[in-house]
Amino acid sequence: MLLTYVDAIRQALAEEMRRDPAVFLLGEDIGIYGGAFKATAGLVDEFGPARVVDTPLAESAIVGAAIGAAYSGMRPVVEMQFMDFIACCFNQITNFAAKSHYRWGAPVPIVIRGPVGGGVHGGPFHSQNPEMYFAHTPGLKVVEPATARDAYGLLKSAIRDNNPVLFLEHKFLYRRVKDEIAEDGPAIPLGVAAVARPGRDLSVITYGAMVHLAVETAAALAAEDIDAEVLDLRTLAPLDRAEIVATAKKTNKVLILHEDTRTGGIAGEITAILQEEAFDDLDAPILRLTSADTPVPFSPPLEAAFLPSAEGLKAALRRLARY
Amino acid sequence: MTPSPELTAADRGSNSEREWFEDLRLERHAFTIRRTRREGRIAYEWSGEITDPPPLRESGRLDRAQCLEIYRFLLMNRIMEQQLENLYKQGQVVGGVYFGLGQEGNSVASAYALDAADWMAPMIRNQGSLLVRGFAPRDVMMQYMAKAGSPTGGRDGTSHYGDLGPRRMISPISMLGDLIPVMGGICMGERLQGRNVAAMTWIGDGGQSTGVFHEAVNFAAVQNLGLVLVVENNLWAYSTPLNEQAKVADLALRARGYGIPAVVVDGTDVLQVYDACRGAVERAHGGGGPTLIESKLMRMKGHAIHDAAAYVPPDLLEFWRRRDPILRFEQYLRQKGWLTAEAQQRLAAEVEQFMLAERAAAEASPMPDGNTALSGVYCEPGCHAVQPRFEARAPALRAANGSANLAAVEGDAPHLR
Ligand SMILES: Cc1ncc(C[n+]2csc(CCOP(=O)(O)OP(=O)(O)O)c2C)c(N)n1
Ligand SMILES: [Mg+2]
Repeated sequence: MLLTYVDAIRQALAEEMRRDPAVFLLGEDIGIYGGAFKATAGLVDEFGPARVVDTPLAESAIVGAAIGAAYSGMRPVVEMQFMDFIACCFNQITNFAAKSHYRWGAPVPIVIRGPVGGGVHGGPFHSQNPEMYFAHTPGLKVVEPATARDAYGLLKSAIRDNNPVLFLEHKFLYRRVKDEIAEDGPAIPLGVAAVARPGRDLSVITYGAMVHLAVETAAALAAEDIDAEVLDLRTLAPLDRAEIVATAKKTNKVLILHEDTRTGGIAGEITAILQEEAFDDLDAPILRLTSADTPVPFSPPLEAAFLPSAEGLKAALRRLARY
Repeated sequence: MTPSPELTAADRGSNSEREWFEDLRLERHAFTIRRTRREGRIAYEWSGEITDPPPLRESGRLDRAQCLEIYRFLLMNRIMEQQLENLYKQGQVVGGVYFGLGQEGNSVASAYALDAADWMAPMIRNQGSLLVRGFAPRDVMMQYMAKAGSPTGGRDGTSHYGDLGPRRMISPISMLGDLIPVMGGICMGERLQGRNVAAMTWIGDGGQSTGVFHEAVNFAAVQNLGLVLVVENNLWAYSTPLNEQAKVADLALRARGYGIPAVVVDGTDVLQVYDACRGAVERAHGGGGPTLIESKLMRMKGHAIHDAAAYVPPDLLEFWRRRDPILRFEQYLRQKGWLTAEAQQRLAAEVEQFMLAERAAAEASPMPDGNTALSGVYCEPGCHAVQPRFEARAPALRAANGSANLAAVEGDAPHLR
């Protein structure tokens, strides 16, 4: 089947719910309405309102209920209508779910999934990239797929995982990217990065919607005889340190690209890993291209100035190539 | 799922708050606590009359053996906390100690109302409930002493532990209120597996001010989950009195806003607490949804061992000293002819002995090896099997008790068999 990113998510949810009666969904407007982005459209018809639960507007209660259901043996999947609202249940995630296994050996197999990211003029409260609040918290896994195939395969792994997993779906990609996906296809393991484009001269390490910007820019730079490799992290926690180091050792030049804001973004962590493990292999300073350290602005020209751009990426890669 | 109850015209027309909850109390406490200025200092002042309480409210639900078992748990709770205080004073405790003095009846009788298939999550003052649910006093002590043998191997302290196995107990976190939606979620998960269970937890007069309390009670109401929420109104949240925490005098009134039943009990009357909780548990088993129980009592020590509670007016303490839940229950047992003075002394001595042995066992446990700190952040493959049991029948659980030593006192939480 040729599926868009959002259809792939729905397909994975449906297949996991058919395979395992312990999987059920909780969220706001996910039943008859099918979710704000239609990720759960039609699922209530197949699985019924007891397994596709329309909840009150109460993020702490929703995530708390998911944690409790998980303790009872279930595998709940929570939809955040927009991931921005995850701030409202920060405590449930970082203090309840994340610490549970470490503190008292009680696994919390829940998935919290929903749309992140900008480029759609959503403004300060419907465009954020909250991954680093959670990648910083021991006990959580954080996943952000860039393709429909990865969305499908990684979501399956997230649901089968015994730990709390944040599954960040880039809303810009929901209907813009498609893949051929076989029914009951394989799960893709968490914590394994993928080379989205092989190259010789330099590496762009990125994830989410920025993978597409990187691949397109790399294709454009081929005409200038710059052969860029693009590494798609796919999972931010756990981070695939081996692949990060491998691409650096292969091309000897690294740029880290992310849509998240600059300070405290994953670029800083990756830079530190490369200093520790690949210092002698680097022929150039590690560069980073990120969003600005501001809230996500609303108006299109403001948002364009905030986000990393193709032009900005080209300029940075040319600079890196010259070293 | 039952539809949410509709407000009738009569409900809307009612202006009597008392009609909006069931009230099991035999006395209504008529005193006030006000802030005043005296000799240049702001302090709390009590006004009221120091009276004696009435006898307990006859239950009809509990037989002699059950009452005696509850009484034993009460003694264990109190004597265990005395031992904890000793351990603290001897410098054997890491951090502080929290006490439930004056609240033992509430902790024990509420937890006693649960069946083995139900779930429970204790708060810091509910150490009696841990004993009822089958943890041993040594577990409680080792947690406070941060020992390797503690239920968390020293990874967490106080009452922060649980058991997804036979004792079906959820570990709390420090952030007040956040347990409540989790307990609702347990009922939701169990219902999806074919069972209606009760999930009990407690919250203080302070904790009920949190946003998550309101989110969670509403969620449980709308989803018709068997949450049994005991609001322990002990008049103080650390140093803040009730009237600075809430505008309503009866916290049970909150239930009305969520369309769920509520009961008010005298938290120093073991039988009232049990009856209200058992009724709520049975409602949960029947799919009748959540119940809020407001238990009125008094925190008889400071917030924790470091707090001398100098802000509490002495008369208030005297008022409640006359309402000691254990002494009141003891009188009831005497009057029934179920406990002679001699039997009482024998039992108390037995529990004292048992507690010394528990304490010795706790002291004998080594401190944890520092290297164990680094493992277990994630549930790795093969570490736990998360397995639902889809069946209408409640699982046949063994006695929830995990400690052979409890049997030394007499039986191991036999009500859970
Ligand atoms: C959300 C939150 N805020 C603050 C605290 C710090 N704190 C711990 S106990 C307490 C007072 C609690 O009072 P109450 O809920 O009435 O329970 P009690 O101690 O009287 O049993 C406070 C402020 C906390 N644990 N959680
Ligand atoms: Mg209190």
